[in-house]
Amino acid sequence: MDPIQATHVEGITQTGGVVEAGGPTTDFEVSLESLNQRQLAWRRFKRNRLALIGSSIFLFMVAVAILGPVLLPYDRLDITAVKKPGGNPPSLESIKTIFGTDNLGRSVLVLTVNGARLSMLIGVMTTIIAVSIGVTIGGIAGFFGGWADGVLMRLVDLVLAVPFLFIVLVAARFFGGGDPIIIILIFGLLAWPGLARLVRAMFLSLREQDFVLAARAVGVSNSRIIFKHMLPNAIGPIVVSASLLVAGTIVLEAFVSFLNFGVRATDVSWGNALSNSQGTLVQGNWWWAFFPGMAIALTVIAINFMGDGMRDALDPYSRGR
Amino acid sequence: MACATPSIHTVAGGERVTDTIARPEARAGHTAGPLLDVRDLQVHFHVMDGTVKAVDGVSFSINPGETLGIVGESGCGKSVTALTIMRLLSSPPAEIVDGSEVIFQGRNLLALDDESMRKVRGNDIAMVFQEPMTSLNPVLTIGDQIAEAIQLHLAFSKREAWNKAIESIRQVGINNPERRVKQYPHEMSGGMRQRVMIAMALSCDPDLIIADEPTTALDVTIQAQILDLIRKVQDETGAALMLITHDLGVVAETVHDVVVMYAGRVVERGTVDEVLLAPKHPYTEGLLESTPSKGKRGQRLNVIKGTVANPFNLSPGCNFTPRCPYAFEPCPVHDPRIEDANPPDVACWLYSRAPGQPPPQRQRPILPPLEANR
Amino acid sequence: MGKYFIRRLLGLIPLFIAVVVISFFLMQFAPGGPEQAMKESKKLTNAQIERWLNAWCLEGEDSIVATAKEFGGWAGILNCNNDGWNAFFSEQGGLNFLPRTLGGGDNGILHGDFGRSIANGREVLGIITERLPATLLLAGAALFVWVSLALVIGVIAAVRQYGKFDQASTFLAYIFYSLPTFWLGLMLIFFFAVYLHWLPTSGMVNAREWPPFGTPDFGVAVGKDPLGAIKEIGTHMVLPLITLVAVNIAGDSRFVRASMLDVLNQDYVRTAKAKGAAPRRVYGRHALRNALLPVVTNVGLELPFLVAGAIVTETIFVWPGMGSLFIQSLRESDYFVLMAVIMITSAMILFANLIADLVYGIVDPRIRY
Repeated sequence: MDPIQATHVEGITQTGGVVEAGGPTTDFEVSLESLNQRQLAWRRFKRNRLALIGSSIFLFMVAVAILGPVLLPYDRLDITAVKKPGGNPPSLESIKTIFGTDNLGRSVLVLTVNGARLSMLIGVMTTIIAVSIGVTIGGIAGFFGGWADGVLMRLVDLVLAVPFLFIVLVAARFFGGGDPIIIILIFGLLAWPGLARLVRAMFLSLREQDFVLAARAVGVSNSRIIFKHMLPNAIGPIVVSASLLVAGTIVLEAFVSFLNFGVRATDVSWGNALSNSQGTLVQGNWWWAFFPGMAIALTVIAINFMGDGMRDALDPYSRGR
Repeated sequence: MACATPSIHTVAGGERVTDTIARPEARAGHTAGPLLDVRDLQVHFHVMDGTVKAVDGVSFSINPGETLGIVGESGCGKSVTALTIMRLLSSPPAEIVDGSEVIFQGRNLLALDDESMRKVRGNDIAMVFQEPMTSLNPVLTIGDQIAEAIQLHLAFSKREAWNKAIESIRQVGINNPERRVKQYPHEMSGGMRQRVMIAMALSCDPDLIIADEPTTALDVTIQAQILDLIRKVQDETGAALMLITHDLGVVAETVHDVVVMYAGRVVERGTVDEVLLAPKHPYTEGLLESTPSKGKRGQRLNVIKGTVANPFNLSPGCNFTPRCPYAFEPCPVHDPRIEDANPPDVACWLYSRAPGQPPPQRQRPILPPLEANR
Repeated sequence: MGKYFIRRLLGLIPLFIAVVVISFFLMQFAPGGPEQAMKESKKLTNAQIERWLNAWCLEGEDSIVATAKEFGGWAGILNCNNDGWNAFFSEQGGLNFLPRTLGGGDNGILHGDFGRSIANGREVLGIITERLPATLLLAGAALFVWVSLALVIGVIAAVRQYGKFDQASTFLAYIFYSLPTFWLGLMLIFFFAVYLHWLPTSGMVNAREWPPFGTPDFGVAVGKDPLGAIKEIGTHMVLPLITLVAVNIAGDSRFVRASMLDVLNQDYVRTAKAKGAAPRRVYGRHALRNALLPVVTNVGLELPFLVAGAIVTETIFVWPGMGSLFIQSLRESDYFVLMAVIMITSAMILFANLIADLVYGIVDPRIRY
């Protein structure tokens, strides 16, 4: 039986006895509430406290990304006088000095709030590209097997032979030019192999399941089998991996831009808000490095909580609970 | 899933007999009392959706050297009973309710501390599980695993334990034991693994063997071999055997006494002749009726209608009522308990006097004559 | 077992070739290319430049054949002094890729010639041998600490599932797993080095008192004061080590916990208990040995992340290893150093994966080829 096609799972909510056809009467009331898989998963997700906390934090960050630059726009020339080398410490004089300033006098709060947009955008767009390519290639390899699988997996092995960070940094440095769009492309084009491997493994095992055999026996076309039967069953781990990829990309962008290989200085991202902050850090000026980094950490924590909550909601037997 | 037909046949003269096994004569040195005496065992499971009374007041006893068969459907609590005797359940979510007693050789196992219980396990009471494919550790040789059991309880050196392991393997009928003892579980078939499990259970010469559905996961032909082996082993060692199964054919050929369980309770007990040839409880009758046999060829197979009750909310009254073809007024209201019956061998208002009812007639429902089983 | 090893080793060869090719092409696509960079270098003598342009077939048009020749020369397969098919043979007459003593040539990677640093003129191989030990020390220590702690934490959490330790370690694991490594490093530096002054802020040894690690001078200095050297390196290693392992411990302890829980639910654990085995024996001999199997595989898969972590950590802490060498040469566009670092590191990871596979083959008796 196709586990997704048979989407109605009996959730017995009313206590009762036994349903009978004919025979002596029973006096028990029975009611059956029918929930489909998605509703069941949502229910489980809602019960997970950490997942809810994560979701709230994440939504907060999204709100900051959208509204922040509107309320506190970044202006290169908006500079507070720097009273000591390395920037001003946090003070309560005005909103803009709450997080202190960097060594040029720019408000760390403004930098943090504005950086959210670009960093999260890079995270999401990279993931979209990586997932699209990865699912396609992994799906083809896993479903068709044979020589297609062989060729595509050799390709994946090739890209994965050299450690990811090496290639990313080299590509960003030499081909990036500081342009966020190119950065997105570079990240996306290098991140898909991991997902392809995952999708391929899942499709390979799904392919052997009886419901696929049954669909084939009835004459369902290949593409319909892939999209309507197999993909919905594989969607769980893919969604979880995608969420982790968003988090990982945000951190990656931060490091690459921190090294000045990533987003150019005229744009603001969390990464380049942090660049050059190490020098003043060792002189005791902690705020410049702390606040944007904290924003990154909070976002990633939030995404990880959500991702774990999603994993448990979609497959409650996955982690020995 | 094939059931072996119970070997019940009609001999000349119209009497029904079974191929039962003979009871052991009282052996010198055994105390007169029962080896295992379970009294009013109650085990509750506390889970997210509520509390399940997996075992709800079960009592039975086994004498030294005898065999007891515990029969019932999946979910009736027979495995939980066995695991409770061995104290292998984890304490949340399981709860052994106060008042339950498991007296083995004079001691209440439920009151023992962990270390004393460990000395009992494998040594005085050994258990054989249902799934031979997964019950052996895949990264250790079977020799290691059998020798481990030996070394845990008997003061043997490693070499002595290893030799005894080889002997046990030979005893359970595996050829070439010297070679086999160094093999890993994945190199053996299911039937062979089950033999290894039995060898492991025997290795410390236990007084009681608990076998939980030992043949369910095996092919029918292997089932017969394993049952023969269990019987032979019992004869040779004089151990008592508690055999748990849902398969009446197994019961007929292997046990002296039978306890029938339903929804966590004992509903009927007796010798194997009494229970299989003259079943009293409608459930037992239903089980026997639904066994396919040669004589019923071409007829519609009988079933016990309905399904097992929802364990979270058992109704008042007899648990079997919705499925019972003989249910009448007292059944949905009053709960018949086997301890209250006189004699305490069946829990049913057909045989006991229910409150407000006239005395029962104490006749068992008419069972259509079985065809001869040739 | 031996057959398994040989087969895996052979399987690595195509991957290794891929690594070499990729390293080469990364350089090719860089703006200007190596010829340009060499010519503009202030540190290379004209003689050196001439030698390499020749040895690496770099004087040529931009065509596919020319690029292939460049690869051949750089790798040491081709002898660029000869034309046509003779290019495969060295001056002495033997196949060029063979070692000199067997009649081969002396150019290219196969003969140990990785070029010179464009930034400081030194031989690349020498730079790498100087920097490699520092990374091996840090990464080796990290591997040990990370695996041990992850095992201990994961097993305890699994055995006492849902207990206080489990809940606390799960929560902390989530937090630490999510922290960006470089930010964690910065914060640690601030708190322990700058604010508390307990530990040094960066470097491997105090540069004012010790020669750089990896140089022969350092070896001499260690000989004179071994305890001092250990103390010096030790205090400098604390913060980088914590930074490097924090994320990995967090992630892997969860993985160990999950694996252990899986195993604890298996039938054979119940059998062990039924035999009367004490809990320690059940957990150690039966459960842990089985739970380790996926963990071994996982560690193997995570080695590239260890490398990435090393790059980050070494950069933040100015630890004189391969990671910081990589970043440094990236900044300075020091192509030949870059290529060598990438190639050697990737090769080491491939080899480490092989070792991990072997270990798995030893531990799991079901895998026997």
